[in-house]
Amino acid sequence: MSDASEPAAAGRDRLRNALSRYRVPIGILLLVVLLRPVIAHDALLGSSYIASAMLIWMLFAAAFNLLYGYSGLLSFGHAIFLGTGIYGVAIGIRHFDLPYFVAAPIGVIVAGLIAYGIARLIVGYGEIYFAMLTLAFAEAIHFVVNADPFGLTGGADGLRSDTTPAWIESFRGRSVVQLGGGEFELYYFVALVFVIAMLALWQIVRSPFGRTLVAIRDNEELARAMGISTARYQTWAFTLSGVFSAVAGTLLVIRNSGASLENFGMMTGAEVILMSIFGGISYFFGPIAGAFSWFFAREYLTNLEMVAIPLVGTVDVGPILGYWRFFFGFLFVVVIVLSPQRGLWGFVRSIADRIRDRLAEVISE
Amino acid sequence: MTDSATTDPSTTDPDASTADRESIDPAEAALGARGLTKRFGELTAVGGVDLAVPEGELRAIIGPNGAGKTTFFNVLTNALEPTAGSVYLHGEEITETPQHARPHDGLVRSFQSNQLFTEQTVHENVRIVAQTAEQGAFSLDLLGRGRDVATERAREVLELTELEDLADETAKNLSHGDQRRLGIAMALATDPSVLLLDEPTSGLGAAETETTADLIEDIQSELGLTLLLIEHDMNIVLSRSDRITVLHRGEVLTTGTPAEIRDDDEVQEAYLGERDEEGSP
Repeated sequence: MSDASEPAAAGRDRLRNALSRYRVPIGILLLVVLLRPVIAHDALLGSSYIASAMLIWMLFAAAFNLLYGYSGLLSFGHAIFLGTGIYGVAIGIRHFDLPYFVAAPIGVIVAGLIAYGIARLIVGYGEIYFAMLTLAFAEAIHFVVNADPFGLTGGADGLRSDTTPAWIESFRGRSVVQLGGGEFELYYFVALVFVIAMLALWQIVRSPFGRTLVAIRDNEELARAMGISTARYQTWAFTLSGVFSAVAGTLLVIRNSGASLENFGMMTGAEVILMSIFGGISYFFGPIAGAFSWFFAREYLTNLEMVAIPLVGTVDVGPILGYWRFFFGFLFVVVIVLSPQRGLWGFVRSIADRIRDRLAEVISE
Repeated sequence: MTDSATTDPSTTDPDASTADRESIDPAEAALGARGLTKRFGELTAVGGVDLAVPEGELRAIIGPNGAGKTTFFNVLTNALEPTAGSVYLHGEEITETPQHARPHDGLVRSFQSNQLFTEQTVHENVRIVAQTAEQGAFSLDLLGRGRDVATERAREVLELTELEDLADETAKNLSHGDQRRLGIAMALATDPSVLLLDEPTSGLGAAETETTADLIEDIQSELGLTLLLIEHDMNIVLSRSDRITVLHRGEVLTTGTPAEIRDDDEVQEAYLGERDEEGSP
């Protein structure tokens, strides 16, 4: 290597290091910038209507994965925390006339307190009991919300009206935020909160706290023998996971213009598990990929009506694809069989690695 | 074994008790146990064990398979709660101290099987333990960067255990011998004063066994540790330990210097007799 090329090579290395070190923040920014135009392309969904819902569920899945992927604890009850964020805002605005920016933090704090309380009770009895107890709590809280205590939650009807802050204007399915004299699509508000929350989650998983969680996940007995208070770490992992799930809830309530009982339902808790596993719980971006595929598959398959098959002609597939969950379930099985733990994201990464290696070979020749 | 390990400790002859064979009181030892007992239902795995290891001693624990050696380690570290008895560390009773708090008091153990954070690198395995030693049993440190905390300490320990060349390997890819060594390195990263090693040479070849024994001796002299060592290799036990405690069916058969143990008829009978039963020549 000649002298002249050395600074250039060093510069390239520095750039490569920076790209590798900050690939998660870069990925998050690229995601929020590209998501809308990409899915709105005619070849894909042709509309960006579901983009903000996608971001919110991506955040929910990433928050869930702080517990499942990074701490190794499975919760069937994460709907509790999403629901508390949603109902916190809806109840605060409708019954107490609170501004959104007061109601939302209250919802998040209440979710954190509930998560901490539940975790203190159920951590330390083993993984399967933990999972079953989260299920029991989810059912209990669903029951309470359904019972409409003090007329707060609206029971089975949920809270549908007077739950949207005044600075959000909705017309023809589009929501526009009017804040500080400016006017912009709700998507950008969601994207801002999403980016901040995702960066916070990223910081948590790479912090000393997050590294310890991973160690506990790998070998709990060893962790305890080496002086780690595993129960306290797991309690706080559950709490933080609940807090970020609630942040997703405070966004979902304005996206959906209200709270519905199904936010607390079993299906919500199950969907976030399926999304995360499908995407790949071993990766930070795994659950995000899972949430994206889930929404994309649902929209794409339910919108598809006619398919042109050579020699057969066009076939009306609308009625069949109404059962999109069935097809997604099939896809789920395929991904899990091909790449368990690593999921879709692991699959994508291994393909990307193979292409990169091949390219490197071609270039070196 | 028909009468197995179910013997009630209270029925043993007091003259045969080995508590008086210990040179000091358990409550004043670097590591002490008094009447330490662990029962699993009817089975007494550890029955009223007295032990007093003075500061800086290398004490070997020997005994035939099923003598209760590993269970004894488990109750000393509170991985298993003792049914009865007391544990002392540097003159303080720690019987009630939870398992995760003991390494912070200076008592740590290695495992007989290779217990590692298998998906992490060798350096991360040691670093996470050093971080815990530095930050305590729990720390909600969300702002730091895990990789930067305790890095230096981890490097020192890897150097001491001659694992520095393997620092970036994933733990599960190490050879059996290196995994054993990593287990010792992790225990050292807690900065212990009393180290319990559970068969550190099991599964190793003759050369590796000697290297590991040398390493243990070096560590002890360099760090001034008190060491309790479960070991099957009698050459190592007889040549390296200061004193030996023989466990048999959950109880202490005798305690003495290597020379005393070698010439003890009871040990010959219990320990070597057992080996004959197992089919050894």
